[in-house]
Amino acid sequence: MFSSLGNLQPRQLAAQVLNFALVLSTAFMLWKGLSVFTNSSSPIVVVLSGSMEPAFQRGDLLFLWNRGQETQVGEIVVYNVRGKDIPIVHRVIRRFGGGSAPLQLLTKGDNNAADDTELYARGQSYLDRSKDVIGSVVGYVPFVGYVTILLSEYPWLKTAMLVFMALTVVLQRE
Amino acid sequence: MADTKISTHSLADLKNTTDDALGNYLRGLKFEQDNTKLDVRLAIGYASVVIAAATFAADYKLGWEATKTWTAVAVVAYALLNGAFTYWMWAVEKGCAFAGINVVSKTKKHDPTYYLTVSLADSDSRQITAPFTTWFTADGYFVAKPFQQWLASSIEEIGNADSKNALRDQREDLAAPSPEVELIAQSNGTT
Repeated sequence: MFSSLGNLQPRQLAAQVLNFALVLSTAFMLWKGLSVFTNSSSPIVVVLSGSMEPAFQRGDLLFLWNRGQETQVGEIVVYNVRGKDIPIVHRVIRRFGGGSAPLQLLTKGDNNAADDTELYARGQSYLDRSKDVIGSVVGYVPFVGYVTILLSEYPWLKTAMLVFMALTVVLQRE
Repeated sequence: MADTKISTHSLADLKNTTDDALGNYLRGLKFEQDNTKLDVRLAIGYASVVIAAATFAADYKLGWEATKTWTAVAVVAYALLNGAFTYWMWAVEKGCAFAGINVVSKTKKHDPTYYLTVSLADSDSRQITAPFTTWFTADGYFVAKPFQQWLASSIEEIGNADSKNALRDQREDLAAPSPEVELIAQSNGTT
């Protein structure tokens, strides 16, 4: 199989490598395009905990929208805790400010007994809408995100998948 | 080359192996290959990959907030280049197998036949076809001799460059008659 690569002319080899590079770069640029469109650093996230049950289960895939910063009580937002890079999906239960004043939010998981003050960074008792929130949930697909939970819990799966994809693209000349 | 075994059920493998052999054969006969079109494709393609790589590096180092604007610019540029790349492959290259004397090869789904369209500067383009079984053994080995004989016999210019493979008295009716063929026909007593 690999010997067929050795037989290629330099230009054909360059074209073959290019095919592989284009698959990767197109996937990346589609993701970035979605980021630009939704104005969110991470427009699609996977629910990692059961704190929003029964609305969202572990493994649900959420679509975020971050244009229009006037978030209302009852909206479900995804935020990053300062200093930690774990996205948390919770519902807004109170809002302060808004309009010309900076908007501040208090959130709580539907399935949690208490609000999120304990979860926020030390000394922080509310979220800053423009800094902490990555977007509001506008749509979801149940369960399909479970693949990424498996991938992060079993890292060897990730390696196996990458190797498999690379081989298929390099060896196929359709 | 000849010792690479392919799957005879894969039309893509049949076509790619034949395309490669066609290139090697024509280069061997000192036909000049014109790589301009492929080079343009490579240039467009690699330019877009460089843009994506730069975006990735900037995003990795500086984060989303700092690179927002430039990411938007890069996404638009990448989309345009990708459009140009696809246009170039489908509308300009059109499956060109050997530029210079312009040989375009293609296959049709579920039809194990090699379609070659040959257009030369001074004549109309014409299409010749042959089943892949002409030059592939049943177990998937490429055999050069019948392939070269087919080309040299059906295309006048290749026959002139490779007369020992040009079986002009056995060639197909598809090819246009030429003085050499008329001569052979006359000496055989047929017209």
